[in-house]
Amino acid sequence: MTGRPLLVLALLLLDGGAAAAQRLRVDWRVQAIPALTETDVVPGNRSLGELRVVQPLAMLDVAALGDRVRFMSAVDFEKYTIAHGELAPGDWGEGFEDRRHPHTLVHQLMLIGPDLFGPLLGPVHVFAAAGKGFVPFGTDDPMSRPAVRYPVNHHLGQILERAVGLAGVRAGPLTLEAALFNGDEPVSPGSWPDMSRFGDSWATRLTLRPVSGLEAQVSYAFVHSPENRPGAGPDDAKTSASARWERGPWYGLVEWAHTRTAGGAFVLHSALAEGALAVAGHRPYVRIERSDRPEEERLFDSPFRTRRPLLENSILAITRWTTVTAGDAVNAWRYRSLTLTPFVEGSYLGIARVGGGVFDPQGQYGRTRGFAITAGARLAAGMRMPRMGRYDEGSMREMRMP
Amino acid sequence: MMRAWVSSLAIGSSLAACSGDTGKVTQPPPPVTDVVLVDTIPVAPNYGIHDQYLRDGLDIVCAWNTGILIYDVGNGIKGGSPSNPVLVGSTTTVGGEAHNTWWFHNPVTNEKRYLFVGQEGPGTIGSSSVGDIHVLDVSDLTKPTEVGTFHRNGSGTHNFWMDEPNQILYAAYYNGGVVSIDVSGTLSGDISSRMIDTITFGAGDTYTWGVHLYNGSLYAMDMLSGIWQLHDSLGTLSIAAGGNNETERYGSDLWVANGYAYTGTWGFAQRVSGVFGNALKVWQLGAGGAPTLVDSIITPNILTVSDVGVSDDNKLLMFSTEGGPNSGFWFYGLADPAHPTFRANYLVGSGIHTAKFARINGKLYAFGARDPGNPAQVILDVSALDQ
Repeated sequence: MTGRPLLVLALLLLDGGAAAAQRLRVDWRVQAIPALTETDVVPGNRSLGELRVVQPLAMLDVAALGDRVRFMSAVDFEKYTIAHGELAPGDWGEGFEDRRHPHTLVHQLMLIGPDLFGPLLGPVHVFAAAGKGFVPFGTDDPMSRPAVRYPVNHHLGQILERAVGLAGVRAGPLTLEAALFNGDEPVSPGSWPDMSRFGDSWATRLTLRPVSGLEAQVSYAFVHSPENRPGAGPDDAKTSASARWERGPWYGLVEWAHTRTAGGAFVLHSALAEGALAVAGHRPYVRIERSDRPEEERLFDSPFRTRRPLLENSILAITRWTTVTAGDAVNAWRYRSLTLTPFVEGSYLGIARVGGGVFDPQGQYGRTRGFAITAGARLAAGMRMPRMGRYDEGSMREMRMP
Repeated sequence: MMRAWVSSLAIGSSLAACSGDTGKVTQPPPPVTDVVLVDTIPVAPNYGIHDQYLRDGLDIVCAWNTGILIYDVGNGIKGGSPSNPVLVGSTTTVGGEAHNTWWFHNPVTNEKRYLFVGQEGPGTIGSSSVGDIHVLDVSDLTKPTEVGTFHRNGSGTHNFWMDEPNQILYAAYYNGGVVSIDVSGTLSGDISSRMIDTITFGAGDTYTWGVHLYNGSLYAMDMLSGIWQLHDSLGTLSIAAGGNNETERYGSDLWVANGYAYTGTWGFAQRVSGVFGNALKVWQLGAGGAPTLVDSIITPNILTVSDVGVSDDNKLLMFSTEGGPNSGFWFYGLADPAHPTFRANYLVGSGIHTAKFARINGKLYAFGARDPGNPAQVILDVSALDQ
């Protein structure tokens, strides 16, 4: 490597993550969150504490041709830092229970045309995107929201890390998106979407932005066999509706999500509300959630893991998790784009079985109420954490969280 | 061909963990016998293989959404053998999820025309289930054709047994208990009206895994309430004895032979904290056929005993295990049928979901369904154990 690229890179690092070279714009971000979590909601009626580095991420966002073409990428290093998941009672998915699964190394790799025809269509804007990333369904990725610990409804409220091709149209306050993607969810942090399944699943989302800062969406997705990669598993029919407010120091989100699996054999509901306020260097936040979770057969050698690949379509029960999470993040230190943001957050959890089945929360955890508390610090450099989950020009123009 | 030598397992210390049982301990003798891997038939991971049915030298594989696969393993129709299975025919069933089967040999008509296939749909274990019985016409084994369906609202089928002389199919029906169905004559279309009788064991007490007809009684193994003896009068069912005899674990499969019932336990959820589904229980059948627990075998480092069978000469007990490092095939001698003695095992890391005996050309084989992610049928020659 010659010295010139290194010099450019150094300038980029010191320039807050943005550089302009003729018609090329580059944004970047790196972050990591060392976090200590302690909870008494642990299989086997015990408490457990763990120190892990979560959400280690490197992002690169390149815009070219006057923002007519964009490339968004995110590399997630959780494969190395939380290979066995993040201790997070209630979280589930991709073969994990009570631990949030590590995301795949290539978290996002999308080529985007945010406004394909520019002013040619007048007030109508057409956009398209393709690559590995977010399906136009539901709400923003929890990684780009205030609380560090993921909500229970991650697999009800978002569809991500898929090979996706989407197109959309924005006219005034309305945006309509539609996408084709592969239904199979990742089977490991290193896995790629099964390209032979591209197009077996689809989603559509209608978004309304009536005034600046307010965004409401309804979306629907059909996901073929998400939990069985060869395609032999049941399908999901997913619905989401939400309203999001972000203006000045205020942020708020209310969300409802609903998943019908196997034609309604299993129905999972979720309702969530969260808010945050940036004030005097602090960012207090709160999240209230009630979400359902399917209980699956756990492994002999780890009560946090479930059978993959699945053998049958049956579950042990559905549990309902009611959680109240509150925390505060402090802008403790900043040097150019380098920031240190310590935080502490705590959750109070209640667990109940919904309907019949052989899974007993009291037997599994020795309790039906408990807590989880996390303290840590977000180390970041580069641009502010963008919203994650949307590729339309309107969203990307407002992609900086307060 | 590969030869697998069975290693010694020190399991005696774990036997006492069978809380709530008789407290008797069956000490395994040093294993001295061998099990020979004959062949492995890969099955598409769609999900894979769930069960198999062996009769007349044919191996009928239930391969979930791949359907029903019929192999010649000694019948002669295609020149197959256990070491060289040859596919005779296959078909998919409506809705897929082919789970178990029974090939009906009708002694009244001398026909071998119908194959009953259980579909295991999505369910909540202990509470709900769905899945129909599909009727296939296998008059031409090379072209099995679905001709009928049996459906029940609110419950789904699991394992079968038949009273062939009386042309009655018995089906475990999970939360629907046990069902008896008249399968005489020609079967076509919706045969749901042919249900003779059904029986459950009470609300919150019924999730029936399997049935077995023996000495005029139908034995039902219920995951929630244990083993029941049912009176059976040409398909009309009533409770005779047993039941509410499995409290510390969930029940699984059963086999009845030699005046004893052998039942498995399921443990992917723990009924009592710290107690796994690692027990094979032995029930002595009284003069009237009522079951009384007399012994149990604890296999350490597994979660579930998923299938149970006894060889046709009643000398060898086999059960399959899943969920742990001791997953695989386990074999026990039945010289004393009340107290089986360890003979051998054949461990398979991903687990064996079901296992069936078959005697082919004088040799005794065990056919097992290997769990995903690398699903296959595993065929073992266990003749050396059959002494």
